[in-house]
Amino acid sequence: MPSRRLLLLPALAALLAASGCRDAKIATYRVPRETPPPAAANAQSADPHAGLGIPPVNAASSPAPAMPTDMASTAVPTASGGDLSWTTPANWQSRAASAMRKATFIIPGESAGEQAELAVTAFPGDVGGNLANVNRWRQQLQLAPISASELDSALTHLHAGDLHIDVAELLGPVPADGKPRQRVLGAIVPFNGATWFFKLTGPDALVSREKSAYLAFVQTIRPSR
Amino acid sequence: MRDTWNSFVKFFISLRVTVVLLALSIILIFAATLDQVNLGIWAVQEKYFRTFFVLWDVKGFPLPVFPGGYFIGGLLLINLVASHVYRFKLTWKKSGILLTHAGLIILLVGELLTGLWQEEFQLRLDQGQTRNYSESYRFNELAVVDATDPNWDQVVAIPEERLQQRDEIQHERLPFRIVTRAYYPNAAVQMREELGNASAPPPATRDIGARLAIIPIPLTYKQNERNLPAAVIELLGPSNVSLGTWVVSTMLVQPQTFDYAGRTWRLAMRFERAYKPYSLTLLKFSHDRYVGTEIPKNFASKVRLHSQDGSTDREVLIYMNNPLRFDGLTFYQAGFDNNDTTTVLQVVRNPSWILPYIACAMMGIGLLIQFGIHLFAFINKRRA
Repeated sequence: MPSRRLLLLPALAALLAASGCRDAKIATYRVPRETPPPAAANAQSADPHAGLGIPPVNAASSPAPAMPTDMASTAVPTASGGDLSWTTPANWQSRAASAMRKATFIIPGESAGEQAELAVTAFPGDVGGNLANVNRWRQQLQLAPISASELDSALTHLHAGDLHIDVAELLGPVPADGKPRQRVLGAIVPFNGATWFFKLTGPDALVSREKSAYLAFVQTIRPSR
Repeated sequence: MRDTWNSFVKFFISLRVTVVLLALSIILIFAATLDQVNLGIWAVQEKYFRTFFVLWDVKGFPLPVFPGGYFIGGLLLINLVASHVYRFKLTWKKSGILLTHAGLIILLVGELLTGLWQEEFQLRLDQGQTRNYSESYRFNELAVVDATDPNWDQVVAIPEERLQQRDEIQHERLPFRIVTRAYYPNAAVQMREELGNASAPPPATRDIGARLAIIPIPLTYKQNERNLPAAVIELLGPSNVSLGTWVVSTMLVQPQTFDYAGRTWRLAMRFERAYKPYSLTLLKFSHDRYVGTEIPKNFASKVRLHSQDGSTDREVLIYMNNPLRFDGLTFYQAGFDNNDTTTVLQVVRNPSWILPYIACAMMGIGLLIQFGIHLFAFINKRRA
């Protein structure tokens, strides 16, 4: 009886068609009241995000703050770690690291109140790639974005140990309000599945003066032991 | 009509079709294995096996380039079943082959049902902590919580897909509509003042969103990483009156609270939760190492299982290869964190888990019978 057998095919097709569909329905339920998780730090902390619940961005870990150690990866304990370390010039003053920063350094200028700041941040992945990152810095200085073909000439390639470092130097436009022109020296360091940024921002004269110290500093960057 | 049907049947019972399908499946598995380096195990399963066609993205347009696992597996299943219906006759001599093929059919159906029904979550517990829900490690949700009652939270959990699809979300339990203004499948959030980019407008008007910047990050497919979605959502009251825009992100640990329509609401993008009528408390997590080395010897979680109705209250030791099976779920020891003070249990529901075992047993017995029949026939022939 072909007609009876014919039923077999649509039945199988329906079974297959039902696959691949994940239920994206809105669910409602009532649960005993939950206390929101404690804030990352208290109000007295040096952490500027205290109480906001933003977890620290840790380049050594995955982008998921809640991603735990997988047991399959624990057989080689020497693979742990993953931060970078460096040596800073003596005149750079360390500030407390925050939830979103690995480190902050202040470089005092000649006159009172004049200073440049070096921020060390790290994000998982390549954060969009060098072009996106350089253009993000350019946008911060109100500079027009560059194209992919201009990227290579905008970067200086350095090596520190096994690390490859791309350094970008940007000079902002002359501000209309008489404030000093801003200069940025930014180093991009891919490491361990994350990207580290060492961004020195400050008045043009001060950052230019510190340029050789900054370049010497980036050459000291090494994986932590 | 009869001729058409016959040629149709002839095609589906053809051994040539079987060989072609097997060859295609070899190519599919080979390509998927190579691509696992780029995509990881989950994405490979979705892209190559749990799909009808493998799609190739050509300038943003997905083109089907190769039959997927469901297509090949489905046709193999039809081929196998049709062959049995039309070709095989039950004789003692072919009973082994029949049993082996029946096992293969169950294996194919079992994989399909696993793809359809299996749910995988994780339960993360700090020492002393009690939880009555597990969390998905692949899917996320926007939880809109009516937190007015001092004892109970009324939750409306909206799957991330709905935000991604930019649906205007209206729900009977919500006095406002939710509209997705921006969606990022993987993004970091950072304080704007730290980016030094104060000139760029904040992504949202309400709460922490007014002080944040969203940094999109490429999607990750690595097995030990997960994507952290973020979205900018606008809440619209009656007559399309905007209540403001919020940034929601799985990176924001704290929910955002606001008052509207005389009630207190909380907004949180979080890993999708599955609540249970029972709870687990981590009493102790042990991570034993071989003496003098850092090489792990054993992981074990001592937990207290307590059901809300009081029918179950006992201590359980979960360790590697010794999961807890309860309420149709299996709790495996899967990971650890925070200097061995946090345990991570994998929580799996797979109603069809028994099918591969049955299939393998049937195929094993079938092959034994078939080879046995041939062996005895051969021995008898030599004796004669």
